[in-house]
Amino acid sequence: MVLTIIYSLLAGLAVAGESRFDQANRQFESGDIAGAAVVYQEILASDGPSASVLFNLGNCDQRLGKYGYAIHAYEGARLLSPRDSDLLANLDLARKAATAFEDSGRHPIADAVLNCLSLNEWSWLVAGSALFLGGLVLLCGFGRMRRRRMIYCVRISAGFAVFLIVGGAFALYLRRDEANRGIVLNESAVVRLSPFEKAEPLGTPGQGSIVRILQTKYGFDFVEVIGTGLRGWVPDKDVSAIHHMRRP
Amino acid sequence: MVMCRYLEMISRYLHLGVLAVVLMSTCLEAAAVEVDARLDLESVEVGNGAIMTLRISGARSGKPEIPEVENLIIQSRGQSQQVQMVNGITSVSVIYQYAVGSNVPGDYQIPSIAIVLDGKRYATQPLMLKVLGSAVASAVSGNEPSETGDDGKNRFGFLTVELASNERRHVYVGEIAPVRIRAWIPEAARAQLRSGIQPEGVAFTLHNVSDEAQQTREIKDGKRYLVVTWFGGISATKAGKYPASLSLNATVAVRDTAALKTGRPKGRAFGDPLLNRIFDDVNEPMIQKDITLKSDDQEIEVRALPSEGRPDGFSGAVGEFKFDGGEIPADWKTGEPQQIRARISGTGNFALMNAPKVSPANDWKIYPGKDEFTAGDQASFSGSKVFQFSAVPRRGGEQNMALEFSFFDPKAVAYQTITSPVREIRVSGEDMVDDKPAVVEAGPEPAKKERELVGQRSVMSASRDLMPLVFRPAFVPLLGVGGGLCIVGGLFAVIRRRLSDPRRLTQAAMEKAVKDALVAAEYCSASKDVSGFFAAGRLAIQVRLGARWNQPAQAITLAEITARISDDSPIARFFHEADLHAYGRQVGSGILPQWQVLLDEAMAALNPSTHPLI
Repeated sequence: MVLTIIYSLLAGLAVAGESRFDQANRQFESGDIAGAAVVYQEILASDGPSASVLFNLGNCDQRLGKYGYAIHAYEGARLLSPRDSDLLANLDLARKAATAFEDSGRHPIADAVLNCLSLNEWSWLVAGSALFLGGLVLLCGFGRMRRRRMIYCVRISAGFAVFLIVGGAFALYLRRDEANRGIVLNESAVVRLSPFEKAEPLGTPGQGSIVRILQTKYGFDFVEVIGTGLRGWVPDKDVSAIHHMRRP
Repeated sequence: MVMCRYLEMISRYLHLGVLAVVLMSTCLEAAAVEVDARLDLESVEVGNGAIMTLRISGARSGKPEIPEVENLIIQSRGQSQQVQMVNGITSVSVIYQYAVGSNVPGDYQIPSIAIVLDGKRYATQPLMLKVLGSAVASAVSGNEPSETGDDGKNRFGFLTVELASNERRHVYVGEIAPVRIRAWIPEAARAQLRSGIQPEGVAFTLHNVSDEAQQTREIKDGKRYLVVTWFGGISATKAGKYPASLSLNATVAVRDTAALKTGRPKGRAFGDPLLNRIFDDVNEPMIQKDITLKSDDQEIEVRALPSEGRPDGFSGAVGEFKFDGGEIPADWKTGEPQQIRARISGTGNFALMNAPKVSPANDWKIYPGKDEFTAGDQASFSGSKVFQFSAVPRRGGEQNMALEFSFFDPKAVAYQTITSPVREIRVSGEDMVDDKPAVVEAGPEPAKKERELVGQRSVMSASRDLMPLVFRPAFVPLLGVGGGLCIVGGLFAVIRRRLSDPRRLTQAAMEKAVKDALVAAEYCSASKDVSGFFAAGRLAIQVRLGARWNQPAQAITLAEITARISDDSPIARFFHEADLHAYGRQVGSGILPQWQVLLDEAMAALNPSTHPLI
């Protein structure tokens, strides 16, 4: 009985969420892009990050010419669905529009391999393989395997798990910088020498630029604009970390 | 004699050296530690910062403990060390600089800053900083001289920005135009640059400023300047006239010519003008200022790309480009994709360059591919871009195929379409049925971009946390659980292997058999069963010896024993007694005590720890 009530409540909430989503989609189709973006943001605030909501929000921002915000939304969606070709195409468009390109400095094939899984998927792969290997070793420790075929299977499985752990750990190591990855949201964002509104400007990274957020205090973020060596302070409102989806 | 004189001289120099070292160390040690903090400004505008200099004299190290003050921002700007030697006295100072300011107006007190040196605590005096609101600050600073390079007719120097090409005074939207940025420093001044070139406005974006600057000496308006020149590129995304304002922070020291007014008339100390000039140069004091060299607001016109004559395939590339090779397969089959590779080289904005189009366009279906840019110079103005993409032929037969690429040439002020050499290809297979209209209506540029955008998602996907597992606290425990399971499993495996070890099992069985035999012997001894006693005792010895000699227990006989062990050993003697009773059919009334002792001695002799060689 209690389960039925909880299920009904959850179902009701889901329907409400979907109806707001549909409403935002209708607004988008009717040309009310800004209104749709507001509803998408409300859904994100209430329900949490969802790949499709972030994708649609990115489309709204792209249509509104807010390329920094669009890239931010698309990058957020990419964390959840890294192999979505539509998403990658739209992200590419947004980057081109903002002339903010990302160069990892790695070989394209290496990049393709590293990005075939999201960071979350890589980490689950490593953790899952470690658990699987642990379970396998525990099983072998408890029970005695007499069949040669079974021993062969276990050895192959353990070797594969070790390979996944090592490979996944290496991929996570290569992508470790993404922990503090952020996007410059506004074209007018200025990197300053000190965390003051009128401190000496060091450069304008441009909207959509990818930065590494190294420190946050006084309402400013100390960032390094990737690929330029430019380091300085940017107001919170002009930059947002991808993992946190903090959207000023 | 000469030797003695040398030794005497060496001894004297050594004494002098030791004296000098002692004196220097005394001077260094004598320098008392002093700490001092100063602000370069008493008041600053909201959002601006003053520079606080914290000097620790007489020490080479020391970390200040900066106190927290509500709403006051104290941000480190670096550390330097100063070593001075005046009249043989060496003094060392460590200087810390901090930017201090606030985004909230008010009077702030910076409390004493503590520094611990060699266990001793030093403290600076508290400092006051007034943070003014914007309106108040502008009123206060109204009469103060500006510290920019414009003050005093560019007395401290200035900055100029000009397009590197002398033929043009304008750039086009999307074009990266090479610019020459020059810092003009008075020749007699000493300058130290404190920052890189910084854009002041938002209209232009500065690209790839050269790391190494050129230095020349030039005369401008009758004055001699040291000119530091950088090259870079600027680009704009909107048409119009915008000031190309750049700035550069520097510390410049110029001679204070006004300081001599009260003393000797300048240039009249000596009769010789050259001596006078040298004397003036040496004696004139220097004024040092931290200034921001700014370019005059030199406007650069940004022209929109003309809409007339814009080719269909134009994607925004601005510059001068040419085909620089490519690979087009000769044999194709309708419906089957193959890779086309093309290299375009030249100068311009490579970032806005898309892949070339295949001609005739209607006969081909093109899929997006990848590209790779190789810079030809440090500023990335020139270079080459390699495009690799897949194409599917729609029509069969022998055809001529080429690649086309359109760009805007700012020198010719016209769109150019370049074509690669025509390639004769053979396409096997039937013509493909068009899955969409071949001709797409051309529309305005923005609309085209919107059409390319993949539309909204109609189904809402489930909400998930964006933070990857690897950055969550649960990741390490999960790995720990996996590792723990491995360790536990490994331990179990080791224990199981030990338990099922055949040698260990054999050993245990042997020990059990020996124990059973000894128990039986004890029982027989108690029940005065002589033959049973000897049979059990013999069995115990046989089992233990069999395990030692790797033979079946039944195979151990007196002959075997005497062949390996001396006759007077307790084992041999017990076997001898046992054989006497077994084959001699001696009947006794009980177990003699010496037999029990003999058995004990024989078993003790078989103990591996006491008799390992048996």
